[in-house]
Amino acid sequence: MAKGPADPAIKAQILEYLAKVQKAKSRDVAVAIGAKKTDVDNAVKELTAEDLVEYLYITTTYICLKGKVQTPNDEK
Amino acid sequence: MTDKKTPLLDELEKGKWPSFVTEMKRAAVKSEAAGELLQVLERSYRERRGHWKHGGIVGVRGYGGGVIGRYVDEPETYPNVAEFHTVRINQPSGFFYNTKTLRTICDIWAKYGSGLTNMHGSTGDVILLGCKTEDIQTIFDEYSEAGFDLGGSGSCLRTTNCCVGPGRCEYACYDTLEACYNITNEFMDELHRPMWPYKSKIKFSGCANDCTGAIARADISVIGTWRDSLIIDQAAVKEYAANQFDIQGQVCDKCPTSCLKFNSEAQELTVNADDCTRCMHCINVMPKAIQAGKEKGASILVGGKSTIVQSAFMSSVIVPFMKMDAENDYEEFKDLVRRIWEWWDENGKSRERLGELIYRVGMGRFLREADIPPVPQMVFRPRANPYVFWPQDELDRSGTALDGSKL
Amino acid sequence: MAKLDQGPPNYKEMLPPVILENYGKWKYHEIPQPGVLKHVAESGAALYSVRVGSPRLLSIDTISEVCDFADQYCEGYLRFTTRNNIEFLVSDEAKVNPLIDALTAKGYSVGGTGASISNVIHTQGWVHCHTPATDASGVVKAVMDDLYEYFTSMKLPAKLKMGLACCLNMCGSTHCSDIGIVGVHRTPPRIDHEKLRKTTEIPTLVASCPTGAIRPDPKNKSVIVNEDKCMYCGNCYTMSPAMEIYDPKNDGIAILIGGKVSNARTAPSFSRMVIPFLPNNPPRWPEVTEAIRSILELWIANARQGERLGEWVERIGWEKFFSLSGLPFSDMLIDDYIFARDTFRTSAGFKY
Repeated sequence: MAKGPADPAIKAQILEYLAKVQKAKSRDVAVAIGAKKTDVDNAVKELTAEDLVEYLYITTTYICLKGKVQTPNDEK
Repeated sequence: MTDKKTPLLDELEKGKWPSFVTEMKRAAVKSEAAGELLQVLERSYRERRGHWKHGGIVGVRGYGGGVIGRYVDEPETYPNVAEFHTVRINQPSGFFYNTKTLRTICDIWAKYGSGLTNMHGSTGDVILLGCKTEDIQTIFDEYSEAGFDLGGSGSCLRTTNCCVGPGRCEYACYDTLEACYNITNEFMDELHRPMWPYKSKIKFSGCANDCTGAIARADISVIGTWRDSLIIDQAAVKEYAANQFDIQGQVCDKCPTSCLKFNSEAQELTVNADDCTRCMHCINVMPKAIQAGKEKGASILVGGKSTIVQSAFMSSVIVPFMKMDAENDYEEFKDLVRRIWEWWDENGKSRERLGELIYRVGMGRFLREADIPPVPQMVFRPRANPYVFWPQDELDRSGTALDGSKL
Repeated sequence: MAKLDQGPPNYKEMLPPVILENYGKWKYHEIPQPGVLKHVAESGAALYSVRVGSPRLLSIDTISEVCDFADQYCEGYLRFTTRNNIEFLVSDEAKVNPLIDALTAKGYSVGGTGASISNVIHTQGWVHCHTPATDASGVVKAVMDDLYEYFTSMKLPAKLKMGLACCLNMCGSTHCSDIGIVGVHRTPPRIDHEKLRKTTEIPTLVASCPTGAIRPDPKNKSVIVNEDKCMYCGNCYTMSPAMEIYDPKNDGIAILIGGKVSNARTAPSFSRMVIPFLPNNPPRWPEVTEAIRSILELWIANARQGERLGEWVERIGWEKFFSLSGLPFSDMLIDDYIFARDTFRTSAGFKY
């Protein structure tokens, strides 16, 4: 599906939201910022390529700010 | 190589079946990680428990999956497997390889990994077992340079898989190899960027023997079939009969719909095509004499999955027959799965597979909202209760005014 | 910089000339000897596939050795099967037997065709999984060593497909196998409250439980597990290392039988539990290998030609299977999950 470049405003809103939580499903982000889920998914795709956001797979896939969630053997 | 002893695992080098312990020892000659893996496993054999932890984040730039994080629970004791991640490489259709390709996979893995693989994982990928976080991006870059791509993990379209198809099977009712290749390439975004409630799988089997187990293991199961009659070669039937093959007992008596008749005098086998359900039994036992019909395509079934959470589901029919045409770029199929995924993504709860969602909200609603026309082939039998939830437009259509006029 | 989204290698580059020339034009196949498939095309050309077993867990040295065989006998072409066997694709008939001899000399097992046991689909087990209730590769090795003669011959009533899943998430294809070997946890997770407080985000942990058995315990800054609701799936351990699910004393193996995915003759069916628990007894799991052998031998002795294990049991009736096998029946074997009612006998007709 040709989606085109993501809306910079949505990208900024996603980053702002993810700064407030540890991790989230993209659906919940979409609801929280009042955007369409497909637009959020498209923006997340760009944000991961820009190394600002990463995907996190623990029983299902979440998104989070890059480096925010630690791996099991990291000391807290 | 490690000098630590593995007496319990050594027991599994005995016996005739090829030994995974021998494989691990082979890898341990060159890889300290593989050597330590043997020690961890020996300890599991002693203690009867696993020693691995799951970790969510290990990825490559731009993708949301393809690498699974794995960590040993005692990193101080086993520093070489403190990080021991799995890399999934998308396999070629039908698991066909030339040796150059296989050797390339091995050469790159020799540089960065434990030297251990699974050929293949249950979903289909080449599984590379055991590498460090710091090497993942390099590993991907090198595989990418060599023409490979990562498979799926997480809540995405998982790596698709198909049977050997027309590459080597006379039963194939559509080109499973091409369909798998073409459709995988179409849905790269869905495969590499997990955005759904949970995973979704597509498997392509060329006939109802279903060698990929699509009906049991895929959310979207594409199973080859035909619409017209079986084709029977009477000369070949006579040959089977001449070779004392029990056509009546092994073919006609086992036909689930009794649609085959064998005339032992004329040595002719005939089919009542209207009654045939295309189960493949007769073709399986008399491949030289019986063939699928000419009008070939696939049945599309959806909702299959293993037990977690709501029990195991078999996929069930939603499109009895669809042409699977490479010439049309599989557009009809792609359009259908897009509608299905969109509906599931919109309505599914976190970690709810397609089949579970359909079970929760009802098949009727799924069919209406994904715009799939209901047909009797979808069910074994209709409902036995009167609890129909009537939508308003149906009431408007079927209601009658008190004066007898249509509403 | 890596190329994104280029997709898998093109299968067309992986096909030997005989396949490219006869693609989609195969006429029939036969099995001239165990482990060898002969596919004949409309053109008269023939392709011989020599099938060998594999432990699935392969070192790159072994893969490279397999490549050497393929280079020498198959012009460099081979494939793997869905059940993790290796198939050497030989287009020159004269090379079939020399290849088999060379493979056998190196200890490879040729077989797995027709009315035989094929390779066992299995999961990672203690080798690499984080929630295993048993090992996978070791159990498979023990079972296949014991039943080896049925891999290299074709004397079973029908084909037999086995699967092993190392916990009850059932990642292997055990739910539709003739014989499914399933690792089972039988006790709820143990909570390490200290570790949980340090490592775990409680809302996501609570949400990870498929049965809603985990609820927050704000006073303790931890969680409480409702043990009656826990189905021992280990999803919470995936989310948090503070929820240990393994239990060496109580983990073990259940046996399910009679499933299939093929539509031939009868509709695809699920495997059904006939043994709820056998102990984990590494390295050779004698209780498991014995149980499987007895079921297999009972099927061989009683089934009609061409009858898959599940088809045989369905024909004689499950109650008859229990009386013939002598396996103890208990309430553990009666379904009490979501679709249980479909399995109750709502008929006054049965056997003893």
